[in-house]
Amino acid sequence: MEAFDLDVRRHVYFSIVANGHPSSVAETATAFARDVPEVEESYRRLHEAHALVLHPDSVDIWFANPFCFAPTPHRVTAGGRVWTGTCAWDALGIPAALHTDGEIDSECACCGEPVRLRVDEGELVEGADLLVHILVPARRWWDDVGFT
Amino acid sequence: MVFLRSEEHLTRWLDANGWEPGATITADKMNELSSVWWWTRLDPGWRPRTSQESQAILDNLDLTGEFWQLG
Repeated sequence: MEAFDLDVRRHVYFSIVANGHPSSVAETATAFARDVPEVEESYRRLHEAHALVLHPDSVDIWFANPFCFAPTPHRVTAGGRVWTGTCAWDALGIPAALHTDGEIDSECACCGEPVRLRVDEGELVEGADLLVHILVPARRWWDDVGFT
Repeated sequence: MVFLRSEEHLTRWLDANGWEPGATITADKMNELSSVWWWTRLDPGWRPRTSQESQAILDNLDLTGEFWQLG
């Protein structure tokens, strides 16, 4: 991965933590005093490298795992903000990434009943007996990451 | 990757969608995996993990077998 792409990725993630959302291509271009097309290409390379995920046919960030920027059933309260987790795995990953405690409000995929999980100093102190199901084998996780 | 309340709900959910089962773990186990997998995501010096490094995380949590093989 190119050094510039790593810098862009770091800027995107720092924007997420600071502002609750990722920096757009235009904002990142301004931050690095680069042309927009250069940064668009960087976003696309990061997408190809699975370092972030763009909306189809767009340079808008869909998710920068574990943070998601489209609606899902997984709402995560951590670090003074309410976040959206891409999936069950990522919902639990948000407190881990932020190195903080967190609460996950989600739903049972079968019946839609609310479920709550709570992470305290890394331990799951509420919701530990819930199940997580992974449909797609690991080697195919990135074939259709939205479905995974 | 979804939460389910019980094995019964899992079976009903799979049947309703016509899906073959994948892998089921407890939320507690998923939290163990998430803690390791995402811990370094915001590190200023973050670099992509190699496939071998990612596989080692799964293996160390006993997430083994064909389903959990990354490549």
